Order: sequence, then structure tokens, then C-alpha cells
Amino acid sequence: MSNSTEGALPSRSWVTDKIFLGLPFADYLKSLATPGNFLAGLIIAIGVPVIVYRFAFGLGASTNLSQTNPWGIWIGFDMLAGVALAAGGYTIATAVYIFGLKEYHSIVRPAILTGFLGYLFAVLGLTADLGRPWNLPVPLFISWGGPSVMFEIAWCVVLYLTVLGLECLPPVFEWLGWKKALVLATKATIGLTVLGVILSTLHQSSLGGLFLMAPTKLHPLWYSPFIPAYFFISSIAAGLSMVIVESGLSHRAFRSRIDHHVDLDKLVIGLARGASIVLFCYFFVKLQGVADGGRWSLLATGYGYWFLVEVLGFILLPSLVFAWAARHANVSLIRWTAAWTVLGIIVNRLNVSVIALNWNAPERYIPSWMEVTVSITLVTLGITAFRWIVNRMPVLNEHELSGGRQI
Amino acid sequence: MKLNRRLFLKVAGAAGAVAAVPAATAKASTGEAEAAVSSARRGVLVDTTKCVGCRACEAACTEVNNQPEPAKLDDSAVFKTVRTTDTRHYTIVNAATMGASSSGSAVPARFIKRQCMHCVEPACASACLVRALNKTPTGPVVYHKDRCLGCRYCMVACPFNVPKYEYDSPTPFVQKCTFCADRQSRGEAPACTSVCPSGALTFGLRDELIETARERLYAKGSTYIRHIFGEREVGGTSWMYITDIPFEKLGLPGDLGTYAYSSLTQASLAAVPFVLTLWPPLLMGMYTFSKRREQVAAAEGAGKETSHE
Amino acid sequence: MIPHDILTLYSAKMIEYGIAILFLLLFIPFWKYVQGPSLATVPAHATVRQPAMAGTDWFPIPFDRLFHRGHAWARPDADGLVTVGLDGFAAKLVGPLASVGLPQIGAAVGQGERAWRLVADDGRAVDMLSPIDGTITEINGELLKTPEAAQADPYGRGWLFRLRPQRLRANSTSLLSGTTARRWMDEAVAGLQRTLSPELGALAQDGGVPVTGMARIIDPDRWDVLARTHLLTDDKEDANA
Repeated sequence: MSNSTEGALPSRSWVTDKIFLGLPFADYLKSLATPGNFLAGLIIAIGVPVIVYRFAFGLGASTNLSQTNPWGIWIGFDMLAGVALAAGGYTIATAVYIFGLKEYHSIVRPAILTGFLGYLFAVLGLTADLGRPWNLPVPLFISWGGPSVMFEIAWCVVLYLTVLGLECLPPVFEWLGWKKALVLATKATIGLTVLGVILSTLHQSSLGGLFLMAPTKLHPLWYSPFIPAYFFISSIAAGLSMVIVESGLSHRAFRSRIDHHVDLDKLVIGLARGASIVLFCYFFVKLQGVADGGRWSLLATGYGYWFLVEVLGFILLPSLVFAWAARHANVSLIRWTAAWTVLGIIVNRLNVSVIALNWNAPERYIPSWMEVTVSITLVTLGITAFRWIVNRMPVLNEHELSGGRQI
Repeated sequence: MKLNRRLFLKVAGAAGAVAAVPAATAKASTGEAEAAVSSARRGVLVDTTKCVGCRACEAACTEVNNQPEPAKLDDSAVFKTVRTTDTRHYTIVNAATMGASSSGSAVPARFIKRQCMHCVEPACASACLVRALNKTPTGPVVYHKDRCLGCRYCMVACPFNVPKYEYDSPTPFVQKCTFCADRQSRGEAPACTSVCPSGALTFGLRDELIETARERLYAKGSTYIRHIFGEREVGGTSWMYITDIPFEKLGLPGDLGTYAYSSLTQASLAAVPFVLTLWPPLLMGMYTFSKRREQVAAAEGAGKETSHE
Repeated sequence: MIPHDILTLYSAKMIEYGIAILFLLLFIPFWKYVQGPSLATVPAHATVRQPAMAGTDWFPIPFDRLFHRGHAWARPDADGLVTVGLDGFAAKLVGPLASVGLPQIGAAVGQGERAWRLVADDGRAVDMLSPIDGTITEINGELLKTPEAAQADPYGRGWLFRLRPQRLRANSTSLLSGTTARRWMDEAVAGLQRTLSPELGALAQDGGVPVTGMARIIDPDRWDVLARTHLLTDDKEDANA
């Protein structure tokens, strides 16, 4: 680096440099007083006691789960939607490293970071939902329920979280300045990407496969032997849309850290094209599911209308709008459509797990305020972790250690 | 574990002519072995035409399980509502709505005892990722509470909504009827079947119970509906029901297929080894292809340049 | 696993095949539409619009160039030449320009040696140091007509000149980039803010933008001396007014 700047920069401790953004501690604390941080702090201040309460007093005291409705939004939103939206990690990594679309390499790192944090907080949401979370090591090391789809998911998620964690190491090593470790970590990229795609295919589809066990409980318009395929295909669209949303927000929030000669708009248009095609195919696959079950008459019921809203409004419509907006280079419309698609994925996951599940049960489930609070808190913690990391490590920009060429 | 082995030995001794039975969860590979396992299975035939609604079964169950006595044990007003089992009561008796039997004449009130069906291929056991719920070869689906994570997938999977969860406990467990597996391992009958005064509950070998049931159904002048609920539903259950009023009036679900629920997920799980085998060559092939294209493009680009710096 | 009645199976299968064929027919034109060229040209975003700046983000650092302590930048280009310019700090420090005195084509400049002169609209001049050694091959003609470009868009349109580097690798060791450049810039800003804050009042840590001609605000009479201090061209031998 530079030896002639010794005079210009006062010597700083590692902590000041790496953790406090190079600012003296008092100044660092002052710099934290932003409206965003205040809101996040408020949410966390309310959420953490609620989480403690849940663990102290049990699920009955903090949730509206019941004997008829054993799964709620911690599974439907935090776990299912969270995992689907974290799919940007493997999607973009595949595009860059397997398909060789190098122009997207500036968004690989934030996509993988979003993926890692998405999975991490999905697992935390799951931990809040489990009745006996201290037994988490059991399906891994002690007792294996091979025929269970849940077993496969448990293994895949644990392995994939590890893979994502390893894929997140290069920016960490650049931040710490550990050159040898960086070289090693970078060499593993292709292998980790291939492993990541395999694991993602398996668990994204298996999360849908869970519901194969509930043919009498899940509404026939959503129940199909193809649920695993639906979940997998929609995870790709979810990942691409989430990357569009995240990159838009990051480029505004972290203006000073981004690489100024990267043309993000062009990349976003490319992602929109991809999302458009995937959603188009997803729409037809869902249609085939209805045909396969001979369910047409059900479309005229209350749940049928809701199904049409999901399929036409949240799948077909964004597909067409993405296509139009990409052709007209309307990046702002693309971003809105991406947010709309993200919402659609959340709607779909909640439909399958909470809304259309037990649709005909006498007792329906509405989440309690504590469940909603915990979900919001986990999302906030995830966003905060993302900001903390991006403000310190070369995720949105290139680092001199990478020789100007990010891997 | 020890209980299973003792149970197995007892059953082998009791049945007398059991061929070498493979370990608890291994599939029987020959027809002979299958027949042997099948012949070792216990079950209960519930003949609702004989049930008088005394609820002695409920009382006996709570007694052997150290649970609080059932509510309103001698008050028939309890039958006004349709109850479900819960975490402290593994079995309950409901009244069916009054209805005509197949012969058209009015029938006295009918009652139905509900509890875990101990399915032959239980959805809950195949759903359980840690084998906390485990099917034993002789019938009972038992719960190993030390393994349980509390994911409650068993509750989603069970078509009868049997497993109940201790939501109010900070260290919750799944609760359901155990088919008195410990009593069976000692050679005793389940508590409920032991106290039934009217003979509505018959405990025995499942195959024999089916024969018994058929005899009753097809006897001359029988008023039974000619269907044994649980003979084939969801692949067969250990607790089977015969009645002379429509099964829906008893609250038994009518939309279950005869396929075992475990088969629903096996197709998608079978894809796992395929993905693990086929994805790597597919992905590495695409990688190699795109790398090759890059190299070719770079070589062409370099060839065009005439000067370098 | 959904039980089918054999009669509905026939119609169901026909519908399924029908949907599949419909999809294939629709897919080809849809693919073409989606992958087609943009009907509108994507506006070039080679440099980002000036961001709203706050806190220590007054002078964002582009990460593709190397910085010299004299507040000049050098960017190695694909053709082996290097583009040189002044950074945002220098631009805002000096303020509106009347002209920029650039070296001649073919002239040699050295790292840390005076290479060009900024003449402000009040006549005072400040020199700046070259970030690398090299021979000038091209100068930015636009600056002759519109010198404001150097002040308004120092990283883009306001580039100063291009040169053929002689010792780029050796020069690079004395240059800053990436996060170290950012910290250096933050230090420079902090130093300026310590002098600025009484004068600029609200233009402090939590909001506001750096003012054009900051040096003039701090010290209207001798701003050029202040500027030269920051730009490291305050040699005693230099007797410029």
C-alpha cells in the first residue's frame, strides 16, 4: 500500500480501524444517530423482550398456534418465505460462475451476503418456532429419520448455510487483510457454487414437499404432486427479484461505497429479463397443476378467486411487466415489479402453509402480535447485520487485495 | 431399545410360529417374512354397535397414564359436544348423531371411541425427522420424547389430527395414545380394551380381527355397513371400526385414500440421489462450456491486437 | 396421488397437453420479446450523479483509481495509458475556475512534482502535483473552453490529461486506493471540518454539502495559501501571489 501516508494518518488500533469505521469511538457513536438506526433500535428493543418471553413461557403464551394449526407465520414467513427470498445467492452465483455471465460479478457478493443472512435468520425463526430447539443436533448426529422430508431439509439447510458462510469469506479475508486465506477461499468458489446449487435445488423443492403429506388439509388448488417443482421454480424468481430490490436499496443507502463505474441499471434490466422468463414458465406450470387435478370448477369459489389473484396478479402480471419494462429500459418500474414479485412469493408461501392449509378446519389461525413482532424483529436484525457488514467489508466494492479484479 | 426387543421376543413367543423377522424398520423382502410381520401385528376392533358410552375406557386410560380423571365421567351431557383428544386425555368417546341404520329402522345412540389409530404405515413416523415417533412391528406407534425437537410436522402429517402438543409448557412434548405399548410388552392388553364391559373393544392380532369383523358384517341379517374402516384407509390402521350408521356420522374422515401417506413424499425424496448424481456433471459441463467460450473469445480478441503496452 | 376417475382422466390429459402446446407456442415469441434490444437506450451511467452527501461522505471515492496525497488521481486505462485528474476535495477547495494551465503534449511530469495550475476566477492560482511519472500524450480540450468542468465533474468530464506512464508499479506504491484512500479522504475532510465548523455552522457532521470554494470561506484573504497547504504545493521557493 502506501508508505508515504504515515504522516497523514494517525496510527489507529485494529478495533478503531475495522469496527468503528476508522472513527474515534465518540465520533462513531455520534454517527450512529440516524433515523434508520433509531427505527431498527426501537424494533429490536421491543422484539428482544418478546423473544425472551416466548422462550420463558412457551409457545402457548406467545403464539396463536393450536392443535389444529400447528404451524404459523414463523414457519410460513420466516422459514419458507425467508429461504425462498434468500435464493439470490445461488441464482446469481450460478449466473456468474457457472454460466460465465461476468458482467454480474459486481452483485455476486451482496447477493451471497443476502442469501447467507436470509438463511441465518430463517433458521433463527425456525428456532423460535421449535418446541425443543436444544434438540437441534439430534437429526444431525443422533437419530436419523431418513424417510422424512423434514430430515432432508434439516441436513440441506445446515450444509447450505455452511456453504454460504464459506462463500462469504473472501470479503471477510480482504477486510482482515489475510492474503493466504483469501487465495484459498477464492479457489473454492466454483466447487462451493456447484454444491450450493445442488443443495438449493434439494431444499427449496423439499420445503414444498413437506406439504405433500397434507392432501386432505391443503386446499386442492394449492395441493399438487408438483409442489416441490413450484417451490423450486419460484425460488429462482424470488432470488432474482430480491437481488433487484436489495441492489436498489443498497446503492441508495451505501452511495459512498459502491463502485462508481458499475452500470447497475443495465444489470437490473438483465435480471428483469431473467425473472420475466422464469415467472412465465412458473405460471404455466401452476396452470398445469390445476389441469392435472381437474380442478377447474374450484376456481369459481372464494379460495378459487384468491388462487387467481395469486397466479394472475403475482405471477403472470409481474412476468409481463418485467418484460415490458426491460424492453423500455424503465428501471424504476422494474424495481417496483420486483418488490411486487417479492410480495407475491411471500403470499404464495403463506398460502401454502397457513392460509390454504386447514382451509376447511373449524378453527382458523391468525398470528398473534407477538409472532408478528418476532418476525419483524428478525428481519430487522438481518438488515442491520447486512448494513454492518457492508459498511466495513468490500461487499459492494472492490478491495485492493483482490488486485482490482473481484473474484 | 430394550423395550422393543423384549416386546419382540414376547410376541415371537406368543405367536408361536413367527419366521425370522427382520429388524423393526427394514422392509420384509420375501412374502413369507411379510406374512410373518403381518401376523405379529396387534390391533383393536371397535364395534360401535356394542358401545354403550360408559367411558370406562377413558377412565382406565387416564389411570394407567397418571393423568387427571376425564371430566364429567358420569354425566351424559358431555356427549352434547364433539370432543377431541388432548395432551392429558389420550382417548375420548363421542356420540354420533342419531341416524338410520342400513335396514331403515331407528337405532339407539351410537358412540365412538377416538384415539391414535396406530396406522400400519404411519404418516407421523415417516414425517418425523428424528424417529421420535416410531412404528413398532407389533402395532403401537411409540414416542421417544428425548429425541423430539418439537417441529410439529407429525401434527401436520397425521390425517386424523391425533398428535397433540403441550403448547403451555416451556419444555413441550407431543402427546398421544401409546396403545399401552409397555403393557403389551408385558403380555397384557391395553387398559381401555381390558375394561370395556360391553365387548365393543376387541384386542388381538390384526389379521384375525379383520376376519372377525367380516364374519359380523356378512352374517345373516346383519345391519352393519359392509366396510371395515381402517382395513385399508391410509394403508391400514391398527384400530378398525365397524358400525351400522354412516361413518361420517361417527366423525371418521371419508376422504382418505388407501395409499400410505409415507408414499406421498417418497417420490420427491427419491429424486434426491438423482439430483446429487446428475447436477454436478450438468453444472460442471455448463461451467466448462462457458469457460471455453471465454477462452476462445479472448484468443480471438488477442489475435486481433497488433501492439501491446 | 390424487385419485382420478378414469373418465375425467381423458379430458384432463387433453387439457394438459393443450396447455403444454399453448405454452410452447407462446414461449418463443415471449422469449424473443424479452431478450430483444431495449426500445429506449439505457442512459449511460458511467459516473453516478453527485450523491446527497452527509457526514463523512462528502467526497465519495471512486474505487477504480489511485490517489496522490496532493489530491490528484490517476486511473490506468485499458490501452496502457493513464488518465489524470484532480479529486473532489481539491475541486471544492479551490472553487470556481477561470482557467486550467495544463502541461504541453510531450512534456514529462514527475510524481510529486508540479504539473498543472488552477487559476480561480479571482485571479489567484494554485498549483497541483502530478500523481505519477509520465509523458503527456493528450490533454482535455474541453477544459480550455469550459474550465468549470474540472471543478464540477472532476472524476468524469473534468479529467485533465492522459500520459504514458514510465514507472507505474513503482509509483503505485506511494498512491492510495480503495478503503485506505477513503480513510485518507475522511481525514482530510475531518481536518478541514475542524477549521470549517465555526464558519460553516450548519454544514457540519449531520448533513449538508461541501461548499464550492471552501478555502475562500475560511480565509478569504489568503485562501490560496491555505489551498496550497492542503494540496502540498506550498514550497517556500514558490513566490506566486
